Amino acid sequence: MAATDTPPVAERVIAVRDLQVAFGTNKVLRGFDLDLYRGENVMVLGKSGSGKSVLIKCIVRLLSPDAGRIEVLGQDVLALDQEQLDHLRVRIGFLFQSSALYDSMTVQENLEFPLRRHWLATSRAATEALVDEVLTAVGLAHTRAMYPSELSGGMKRRIGLARTLILKPEIVLYDEPTTGLDPITGREIVELILQLQRQYNTSSIIISHDLNVAKLAANRIALLHEGRNRVEGSYTDFLASNDPVVKEFFIFM
Amino acid sequence: MAERSGFHALAVEAGELAGFAGRFFRNAFHARFEWRELVRQAAINGYQSLPLVGITAFIMGLVLTVQSRPTLARFGAESMLPAMVAISVVREIAPVITALICAGKIGSSMGAELGSMKVTEQIDAMEVSGTNPFRYLAVTRIWSTTLMLPVLVVLADAIAIWASWVGVNIRDTVSWPLFYRQVFDSLEYGDFLPAFAKSYLFGFAIGVVGCFKGFTTAKGTEGVGRSAHTAVVVASLLIFILDLIAVQITDLLGLT
Repeated sequence: MAATDTPPVAERVIAVRDLQVAFGTNKVLRGFDLDLYRGENVMVLGKSGSGKSVLIKCIVRLLSPDAGRIEVLGQDVLALDQEQLDHLRVRIGFLFQSSALYDSMTVQENLEFPLRRHWLATSRAATEALVDEVLTAVGLAHTRAMYPSELSGGMKRRIGLARTLILKPEIVLYDEPTTGLDPITGREIVELILQLQRQYNTSSIIISHDLNVAKLAANRIALLHEGRNRVEGSYTDFLASNDPVVKEFFIFM
Repeated sequence: MAERSGFHALAVEAGELAGFAGRFFRNAFHARFEWRELVRQAAINGYQSLPLVGITAFIMGLVLTVQSRPTLARFGAESMLPAMVAISVVREIAPVITALICAGKIGSSMGAELGSMKVTEQIDAMEVSGTNPFRYLAVTRIWSTTLMLPVLVVLADAIAIWASWVGVNIRDTVSWPLFYRQVFDSLEYGDFLPAFAKSYLFGFAIGVVGCFKGFTTAKGTEGVGRSAHTAVVVASLLIFILDLIAVQITDLLGLT
């Protein structure tokens, strides 16, 4: 299950350079750099409030950075107009920490929502087939008619994942995929992420402070500390590291 | 966002609201129009407001009639009662009361619903899936209130006038055909059209303010509550301001 072997030299799908974001006087990111190559899982490790979520929100331009460059699939994200940005966003999946399911819609409607908006499914049958496919992939085919409020935390996360995957994204950004779940459910989600990554051939950035995610899912880990990419390496590199900040994360291992 | 206060905050807010309204017009006639959602919103904001608007209009028509009668009777002008009530209902009471009722009912529900969607990242989720949440959520809601409010106002006019006939008949006996004739002899297009036109503006104000407050909700659950109540307060205030402007314009056009 462990994905420790780094894939061969591949196309770069995300390049973040010198990213700076401040909220008032609070400088969250102070020149962050990160690369993501095709087929790779990069985990961004960092304490709560270190700006991990801010980073991936900048990548899909939910937040606008103060300075820096972000290139996704060869396009300069910060220079795109709304129409181009929407096209690019279809190719990027984003899993919210809160799952962010539309709570006034059923699971089925949640999944159909992005499809309808992009005219991706041409017929009723095609929509049904796609919904079936992703629901089966996340193992929740029986929840179709349920509302998000009837689902458990882990199920919500799975449906959120299904809604992200239904657009067949090339890149998936995960915002704390296991936070708030019990260890067993968290592990199931990590395994699901890996399985879906193989099935849909996606590249991903996983934001987390969960070392299980680091161990099981990450090809490469980047440590976000004081707004910068302090150190990068594999899980084993991190275990062997002498860096006091890295050690702090692994102290309970 | 830093906490602002006083006049500066008001000016900034007004500017942002105007920007939001501008954004509506840029998206209002977009080819990818969400017709299904518009119909659903029109049903929620129009059809489901009808009972409340109807009851209010009935009571306003009845009370206005009963209250005006003694004064008119003192001048021996009781026969003017239908005309007086009809004119005040059509020109002012029905549009303003309906708009205020809707500001309360629709404005608060929009502020709270969109506000909850905002703080639970549902609006962000729509945005990152490449769909335009503004077009789906705001444009349809603003169109629905803009188009439904005039309809509600016309229905309120009719109900209030009928209630006035009921009010007259508490003490006197006036047949409906006679009452109806007296009402329509006194009403002119100049009474009805400006009132009808301004109810579009009222509907637009309710939709824009409700959506603006919802979309700009911050700070969690408390923010949702604040959005809901400020949507009502701002929309109601805006309705009065628009009413003031509308009356000046009709006055200048010689329609009074």
